[in-house]
Amino acid sequence: MGYVDIPFSRLVLALGFILVAIVLSSRGALRLEREIAWGAARGAAQLIAIGYLLRVLFAHERPGWVLLALSVMLLVAAWTSARRVKRGLRSRALLLYALVSIAAGASVALVPVFVFIVPPTPWFEARYLVPIGGMMLSSSMNVVALVLERLFAGARLESATIEQLLALGATPQQALAPCTRAALRAAMIPTINGLLTVGLVALPGMMTGQIVGGVAPEQAVRYQIVILYQLVATTAISGALAARLARRLLFTKEAQLLVPPETELEPRK
Amino acid sequence: MVTGRLAAEGVVVVREGRALVAGADLGVSAGEIAVVTGVSGCGKTTLLRAMATLIPRDAGTLALDGIDAAQIPPMIFRRRVAYVPQQPPMLEGSVQSNVATGPRLAGASITPEALAALLIRVGLPEDMLSRSARDLSGGERQRVALARALANKPSFLLMDEPTSALDPSSAAHVLALVRELSRQGLGVIVVTHVEEHAERLEGTRYVCVAGRLTVKE
Repeated sequence: MGYVDIPFSRLVLALGFILVAIVLSSRGALRLEREIAWGAARGAAQLIAIGYLLRVLFAHERPGWVLLALSVMLLVAAWTSARRVKRGLRSRALLLYALVSIAAGASVALVPVFVFIVPPTPWFEARYLVPIGGMMLSSSMNVVALVLERLFAGARLESATIEQLLALGATPQQALAPCTRAALRAAMIPTINGLLTVGLVALPGMMTGQIVGGVAPEQAVRYQIVILYQLVATTAISGALAARLARRLLFTKEAQLLVPPETELEPRK
Repeated sequence: MVTGRLAAEGVVVVREGRALVAGADLGVSAGEIAVVTGVSGCGKTTLLRAMATLIPRDAGTLALDGIDAAQIPPMIFRRRVAYVPQQPPMLEGSVQSNVATGPRLAGASITPEALAALLIRVGLPEDMLSRSARDLSGGERQRVALARALANKPSFLLMDEPTSALDPSSAAHVLALVRELSRQGLGVIVVTHVEEHAERLEGTRYVCVAGRLTVKE
């Protein structure tokens, strides 16, 4: 089974969708025309670039290049999740903690799968490592961003309670535990909801892609199950580790609370 | 070695370039009461928080029984030197679980009888134990917070405006309790802006002006 090729001329036709949205925005005075156009151009440019990059990577498949690609993805993920928190906190430490959390969460999910469940040959085969690795890294990135933001916002909001617990002899870990629990639960819930609704509402992207590409649906489904389980482990590990590491930024060595500055709800432009 | 004494000397706390506490000396021995009065913003609360080791000092020493506070693990220090803030936050759950917080954090347990005795000691009815702590009035919260602090069996008690949310009769009860606690051997530092309450505590008087303390004769 093959798939239908999309020549460039027909790809351009897809721009019609963007035009529809721009016309609607302009009629409704939403003033989103520029954003839609910029988003469409930028998204297409990024995807076209990554398409060619992957092609080069597949053609020169060496462990070093594949690992370099994954490392760049990891760095971007760490930077994106750490930048949500305003300066004032030690931003370098924050970036390092985000990096460690994402790397650990993604590795724990990826290594056993590539060793035991979907062993690619050779082990560094890019068409497995890069897309599946990317899914883990991006999910991990979202969880780490959410945990950091929730934890710092929670510590600011609950600073009086945290300090009261410290005054009663609590360790920083004990004093921050309610905030940590709330942050981790909030960060894990989207992944768990994903497990509950998958297949009922949306067919996940990877599965859809495999089916369109000609893979037997029952095999595509198995891949998807593995991916979903991996995502649960990744988010749990990355989230818990990020919360644990971020605690170091919230207390002095003498177990005094450093009330964090406001976090930005929107990523910086 | 000085036993049974909590002493701060030359304490300085600077925040955003401003010295909130500018070289304050304050100490109390077991069984004594020290009372600090002064207008709001003079640095009384900041000094108290620094003595509870809840905020860093920029200069000065703090010693417990003659031992530098920096040599004592903060969790141990704070069990011996209890701090009750002006608006003590109640933790989620019952009054019982609030009062039992300190022992629970240390992995110890406290009997229901001991909890009831603590409530009675601060002038609250024993049947309040099962109520939700966050539904209590300001005055009740203040006294639950005092019971919660006492559950750790501290040697020293730092109280910030303990009577600010209380009606006159409850305030009288708390002031009498503070004197009783000091007679039982507790060293107590009370910060208040109510001159009449300060007088009734019959302790050593300090006046706080612009981050410095002077002994009031």
